[in-house]
Amino acid sequence: MASHLVRDLTVLLGPKAVLHKPEDLMLYEYDGSVETASPECIVFPKTTEEVSEIVRIANRYEAPLLGRGAGTGLSGGAVARAGGLVIVFSRMNRILSVDAENQRAVVQPGVVNLDLSRAVEHLGLYFAPDPSSQKSCTIGGNVSENSGGPHTLAFGVTTNHVTGLELVLTDGEIVRVGSKTAETAGYDLTGVFVGSEGTFALVTEITVRLVRKSETVKTLLAVYDTLDDATESVAEITRRAITPAACEMLDGFTLRAVEDYVHAGFPKDCAAVLLIEVEGLAEATIAQSAEITDVCRLHHAREVRVAKDDRERDLLWKGRKNAFGALGRLSPMYYVQDGVIPRTRLPETLRVIQDVSRRYDLRIGNIFHAGDGNLHPLILFDQRDPEEFKRVVAAGNEIMRHCISVGGALTGEHGIGMEKNELMPLMFSADDLALMGRVRAAFNPTGRLNPGKVLPLGKSCGEIRVHPLPVSVTAPA
Amino acid sequence: MTSPAQPSPMRLEEIVGPSHVVTNPAELSAWRVNHKDPRAAVQPTEAAQVAEIIRYAGAGGLGLIPSGGRTKLGIGLPPTRYDIALDLSRMNRVLAYDPEDLTLGVEPGVRVEDLRRTLLEEKQFLPLAVPFADRATLGGIAAANSNSPMRHSYGGVRDFCLGMEFVTGDGLQAKSGGRVVKNVTGYDLHKLLIGSLGTLAVITRLNFRTFPIPPVQRTFVASFRAAEPAFEFCQAIANSVLMPEIVEIADPAAAAIMLTKEPLASIDGRLWSVVIRTTGQSAVVNRCDQELSQLAVTAKAASLDALAGSDASSLLSGICEFPQLVLGTNPSALIFRIGLLPSALPSLHGIFSRLANRNRLGLVTLSRATGFMYAALLPERGTECVPAAMANIANEIFQACSAPEISAQTMLEWCPTEINAAVGTLWGTPRADSALMKRMKVVFDPKGILSPGRFAREI
Repeated sequence: MASHLVRDLTVLLGPKAVLHKPEDLMLYEYDGSVETASPECIVFPKTTEEVSEIVRIANRYEAPLLGRGAGTGLSGGAVARAGGLVIVFSRMNRILSVDAENQRAVVQPGVVNLDLSRAVEHLGLYFAPDPSSQKSCTIGGNVSENSGGPHTLAFGVTTNHVTGLELVLTDGEIVRVGSKTAETAGYDLTGVFVGSEGTFALVTEITVRLVRKSETVKTLLAVYDTLDDATESVAEITRRAITPAACEMLDGFTLRAVEDYVHAGFPKDCAAVLLIEVEGLAEATIAQSAEITDVCRLHHAREVRVAKDDRERDLLWKGRKNAFGALGRLSPMYYVQDGVIPRTRLPETLRVIQDVSRRYDLRIGNIFHAGDGNLHPLILFDQRDPEEFKRVVAAGNEIMRHCISVGGALTGEHGIGMEKNELMPLMFSADDLALMGRVRAAFNPTGRLNPGKVLPLGKSCGEIRVHPLPVSVTAPA
Repeated sequence: MTSPAQPSPMRLEEIVGPSHVVTNPAELSAWRVNHKDPRAAVQPTEAAQVAEIIRYAGAGGLGLIPSGGRTKLGIGLPPTRYDIALDLSRMNRVLAYDPEDLTLGVEPGVRVEDLRRTLLEEKQFLPLAVPFADRATLGGIAAANSNSPMRHSYGGVRDFCLGMEFVTGDGLQAKSGGRVVKNVTGYDLHKLLIGSLGTLAVITRLNFRTFPIPPVQRTFVASFRAAEPAFEFCQAIANSVLMPEIVEIADPAAAAIMLTKEPLASIDGRLWSVVIRTTGQSAVVNRCDQELSQLAVTAKAASLDALAGSDASSLLSGICEFPQLVLGTNPSALIFRIGLLPSALPSLHGIFSRLANRNRLGLVTLSRATGFMYAALLPERGTECVPAAMANIANEIFQACSAPEISAQTMLEWCPTEINAAVGTLWGTPRADSALMKRMKVVFDPKGILSPGRFAREI
């Protein structure tokens, strides 16, 4: 029997835009992380006004709710931890306007990241944040998570590319923050909103900057016989203040898996490769690639090759962007971390990860954004083995603690979500977290929007615990 | 309630030591804000002391205004209360600088000029070519969100500030962001403090990413006989493969003001000047040189000149110090800072020209091709300036800027106190998100003691 909540939503949106059968709900229990939880109802609005009405209906029944794009997030941000209602933005997927002269686009939250870049390609423009999931992840999700990607090394993450938002607040009010211009009057509400992981308000429209494509791009592959030589090369590239557009590293374990899967052209007998890209005027890329080649050779790269055409370049990137999938073939499950360290600490940190791998007897692949110190250790495991899972969690914590101990951060681009919220005290004091809780409460006073995310659930942090909504909830009088 | 409390010098001395509390009225004028002097100035050296001072002020309901180099205290509405000047100039240490990681952590009272020298030793810099460069501090630059011509290529403070530590109006010592170049851990609360004019929290530490100084830089000036071709030239640059570091458009009056400091052969005070700086390896800069020459010919520029090193730096300093130069020429100037889309720059300039003509005011504008304009309205020297009349003009500007075809974000950044009070707003008509901004103020400063009334009437 459908609840009153489902009934009211169906009246608003029609039966095709509301899912509530268990077999339909199952598809929305998870995202790209290891977390799962069951929602009670899924809705697919088409307009901002519908989103506002949905929020009002949810409030009538005190139902928890959250927004969801493609569900590719890696920290449980789009998992309905307290049950309730999930608003899926896949039908709000229009590019509303493109202003080539001013390099802006206005999009709905369900627009797929890569679709925007493809739509403006003929104008010589693109949307710079390029997460590995860019073929399916949505810009609404990118805004919530402040997503990065390989090319954010030179071009910045999502927050550097969003100038304005239309929001539906938790009382259903529709408000615009920021604008199309880079400078906005008053407090930078757009700035504090991007990366708030869906806990402040729902995003219904996004104004983004578009970036002009570079004249030339050169992609280099440097091949190493030791991991240390690869990490030392990255540290030296940073030290020499060379700024590539991207600087990615794959360790030998990972690249062998990738090669078997994608056939990208990575040599299978090496210890690590660096995938480095430089962009700009032809003169600039020639000079930069020469300097990078020098650094790599100095650190004993056995080969440095420049992709000779677009096909070879695309293949190398295909290898990089499908690496998580490739490792997924080796193991039923993997746990990917996202810690960040100062770039100078890369060599020692990779040694720590190798040591953790040995001590916990776990296979760990490393594939990550080396240029900005954003690690992605992938710990392989089998979830049917509870003892192994315990070791995975302990190993993950140890790596994370190391990152923090050298002055780093818990997450560079995947978000805190429900996966790392209990680790927040590693980086933030009780007062820091209390203030974050107060800011969230100013946006989301009932705590029913995306509950149980970002901040620890401990008693000191003002987290409002929301209990799962019984499906048979009745309407208030 | 009893009459407003007085700051107790003794209590403040207990916190920071006797030689760091000023109560002598003659000396207190150094911290004057909109004709108002504080009753005490206090100079802490530690974040914990800042927190203690704020808690003390909060307990007594005392209004407190933070300052560093005191260069931008004129920005903001007149304070509704001003009891304590919280002078952060002694918190001037570089706390962490890791040149190999290109990251930096500083206290708020570090002067941007001192930091420039420190970074120069490692051939690095922060892209903050801001006004009052000799005295401005990092905390003040962030709080006022000072605009810099380098915004064109490096973005604003929000784009390269990695995190902050700060003390809220209820004395909570908190932080957000971090020290690494990529980080999404927790809410980016520090973004709210950038441009908040000291109304949300007192900044006690700022972390930045630093940038390598490019090996070669070259500055060009293209001159035009009218506004349209100058703006079209900038649009052509934006559509090209060039990525200049700076693209500035000075109207003839702005060029003339910049020349008063130091005359330059390549700048003609009767023409529109577009100033471009390109950077990179010498091959890159040479290529930019060629491309720019072609674009200048197509745009029918009257001339295109490359500047010698010393001319280039004095021109750049004129550009950075634009607000100061204008105020030096005419202390009654109303200087608006306006964010807008590049395509709206010519129309906005037209609006200002017509309004200035109609009201017999002088007009000086300096624009950034990326979508920013300083527009200064200058009352004739010697004429009496009626605040109410000037306030009407300011309101007319706010209205014209918010018209859909302009859609600009406007702030009345500098003007005489009397006019400031008569206008009663820095931003024009309240925006739809004003309620959210007020909520932020209540979260950060529940008692309303930090720079009270300076951001907006209730903030």
